[in-house]
Amino acid sequence: MLLFTATLAEPRLFSLAEKLLLVVLVAASATGFWLRFRVVLGKILQSKPDVSFHLFPIGKRIWEFVCEVLFHAKVIRQRPLPGLAHAFVFWGFCAFVLVTLNHFSVGFGVGFLDPTGRFGRFYFDLAAVFAVACSASILGLFVRRFLIRPEWLGEQLSYQSGVIAFLIFLLMVTYLASFFVAEADPAARVLWWVHTLALLAFLPIIPHTKHLHLVLSPATVFLSRGSFSRIPPLAGDEDFGLIDGTDLTRLVSLQAYSCVECGRCTEHCPAAATGKLLNPKEIILGLRGFLNDLGPTSEEPLLGKYNPPQAPFQCTTCGACEFQCPVGIEHLPILVGLRRGAVNTGTWQDDYGSKLFLALERGSNAHGLATSERDKFIEKVGLPIFDGTQEYCLWLGCMGGYDPKGREIITDFARIMNYLGTSYGVLRKEKCCGDPVRRLGNDLVFQQLAEANLQALAQTKTRKIVSICPHCVRTIQEDWREFGAPPTVEHHSEFLARHADQLPRPSTISATNSESFVAGHDFSRAATAPNSPGALAPAAETIVYHDPCYLGRYRNVYDQPRALVNLAGELVETPRNHERSFCCGAGGGLVFLGEETGERIGKVRADELVATGAKTVATACPFCNSIFRDALAESGDAAPQLLDIAQLTARRLPKIERTES
Amino acid sequence: MKIIVAIKQVPERDAQMRINAAGKWIEESGLQFALNESDAYALEEALQLKEKHGGEVIVLTAGPERVGPTIREALAKGADRAIHIDCNDLGARDALGVARLLAEAVKPESPDLILTGLQSDDLGQGQTGVILAELLGLPHASLILHVDKTDAGLTVKRELEEGWFQTIDLPTPAVLTIQSGGSKLRYATLMGIKRAKTKELHTVAAAELTAPAVILERIALPQKQKPTQILSGTPKEVAAALVEKLKFEARVL
Repeated sequence: MLLFTATLAEPRLFSLAEKLLLVVLVAASATGFWLRFRVVLGKILQSKPDVSFHLFPIGKRIWEFVCEVLFHAKVIRQRPLPGLAHAFVFWGFCAFVLVTLNHFSVGFGVGFLDPTGRFGRFYFDLAAVFAVACSASILGLFVRRFLIRPEWLGEQLSYQSGVIAFLIFLLMVTYLASFFVAEADPAARVLWWVHTLALLAFLPIIPHTKHLHLVLSPATVFLSRGSFSRIPPLAGDEDFGLIDGTDLTRLVSLQAYSCVECGRCTEHCPAAATGKLLNPKEIILGLRGFLNDLGPTSEEPLLGKYNPPQAPFQCTTCGACEFQCPVGIEHLPILVGLRRGAVNTGTWQDDYGSKLFLALERGSNAHGLATSERDKFIEKVGLPIFDGTQEYCLWLGCMGGYDPKGREIITDFARIMNYLGTSYGVLRKEKCCGDPVRRLGNDLVFQQLAEANLQALAQTKTRKIVSICPHCVRTIQEDWREFGAPPTVEHHSEFLARHADQLPRPSTISATNSESFVAGHDFSRAATAPNSPGALAPAAETIVYHDPCYLGRYRNVYDQPRALVNLAGELVETPRNHERSFCCGAGGGLVFLGEETGERIGKVRADELVATGAKTVATACPFCNSIFRDALAESGDAAPQLLDIAQLTARRLPKIERTES
Repeated sequence: MKIIVAIKQVPERDAQMRINAAGKWIEESGLQFALNESDAYALEEALQLKEKHGGEVIVLTAGPERVGPTIREALAKGADRAIHIDCNDLGARDALGVARLLAEAVKPESPDLILTGLQSDDLGQGQTGVILAELLGLPHASLILHVDKTDAGLTVKRELEEGWFQTIDLPTPAVLTIQSGGSKLRYATLMGIKRAKTKELHTVAAAELTAPAVILERIALPQKQKPTQILSGTPKEVAAALVEKLKFEARVL
């Protein structure tokens, strides 16, 4: 290739006037950058310190920095083409750091890379390869933004992006062109100056636009809160969440200024996709607007002019936004923080919300049912009471203890544990784990519930908990830590997958020795007629699995439930699966609030599940199950049957194993 | 407007009741206690009046030390201060005895309005508020769902039988006993609980116990009965049988 035989042409002698002009231009450019960047930095540093932030363990941070910043892992994985294009632009920038330093040095007659020398020639050629990739990429990205125009980039075209793209292209082209002119050629000097001017124009644009992410996002990724959707403890007696500017912490402000406006969060947001007011990108930009106009010392409320007060309450806390964000913005602590501010002060008034809070202030479960209902269920099924001698505490949760379908899941899971010979028991007194109030921002009730449960578990000397509900698992393991050390907890899919080799294999199953009754919903049959074994023939039944947000994105458990589905039939996937799974709409306490506007999230997801043509929908979360139960009912006779993975597993057990004490 | 809300702490609704050894009251050990339901509505009504018209809400309760959390809950929801009549023998006093305790504490405050719950969830006599009005020589109205302040005094909405309501005017000061369900209760907030710590809680000793006018003889648990019937037959037959039973046995049609 011609490029590799050619030599980069650098003008040699610069007149004093040229050198002076260069000094003036560099100074002007740097001033343009600093004047704005100083303001941004000031707003970030003026914000409240994050008291619960710890830099250690630092190894994890370095690893994430390498993966997400240097290798663009998530950016490429989640949007391969634009992701790769962006990565090439980024890698081009990295390669050009040395080239650019040398470029300015040349202007002052102290160039340190010799284009004819061994290293110089190698490095300039290497940079040229990156320059080709970078210019092709930026062209591609330009076409995408201005011609293809994906909807999540917003209706408004970003002309700043156009200018930036042009400057990057110009930088690359002037660099590459320098290989094709002779050193003495006046064109070399022209190219040098055009390249210089493009660089100097680029610098001050950065802090004035979303291209601030060039500078900030590496820091934002490095300075994450440490784990997914981590809700920081409230700091002191005067912290009630995000109420006004003074509640914005440095991390929140840094993240607000880091937003690159790519819209990945909004593209994946179930609320935004179904016509709700909530738009996660606008939430972050609203905070940035607040910081720009009023700053972190303002006592104006954060909700109101800059963000609609009801928007945070439409969040299902599915975490798709935070998972997708390429610049390290943590949406959930922000959205939950805004809810905390409104709920902890009583500003948020909602009939269903108040009902939920009052039910949990006084009672034991989110449904507001009498505790005796749970006792009756335990007695009826004959679940053993946990007394500290058994291996596992079987956590029932509000769904397992009180909801008819949740009880069916518990019953089947208990049957499997009996079959496996695992010792377990249920707590005599168990309160809601606090998930809905935690996500809705009611710290008072959450603390009461967490403390009461931690105490009950300590009294019974519980060491291991297994639960059918990913929300309970998450809340017990992560959120309770604020108030004490919880026992180890796992989801029943993890437990079952670990015991998969002790469960009946597909080949050993025939329709005749499997249970004739299965506690699943089968809308194609009248409620009074039990499902016949033939109807549930396990052979090559197609089963579509729905990833619950709190099991997938929150816990990274994707394979275990699939392993169980594979034992029961043939696994099929929806187009959106694993970490891109689309929420059922129940999370974040929303199952108790009701969805008042737009299309129903659960219906959208149920339609996707039905569209796979699978005979069975498999769930691993009692809330998803409850939502789909209603959504599938609309499909009438054509609806697939709906079963939890525990039920899928239990129906393969031989009948004689039903030996509960 | 200075409003006193008399509240009572009662066993939690879900509590598993046992009768104590003497057979005269429930066994209190191991029970959880909470604010009496209609008292929660009385407090809510008072807080709404204060929000609309300004003034002060004072909660007043008689009971042993365990009433502390209930008082703090009321303060957290927005009451300005509290008076606790420290009394370990509440169960031995009849409604008149309790009303006397409350009246003693109310008098020096000379409030514009006194609210109580309609009745307590444990004894359910519905007497205390009414007797309190008598002892203070104030007009009263019971079964109140809603209170409006007027220039002349108060306009209140009373619940009658069968879905009828009555609107009446009263002068102030007055005593009202509040029915559950008239308004929407507010939830307790973290900010409320933190602010409540600095609010005034005045504890006074209860007057000596005198011989009650009403003596509690004995309490008993209700007989368990389960009159469930399962009707069988075709849907048509079942429907006909159901209508028959609703008409002539349950007499609801």
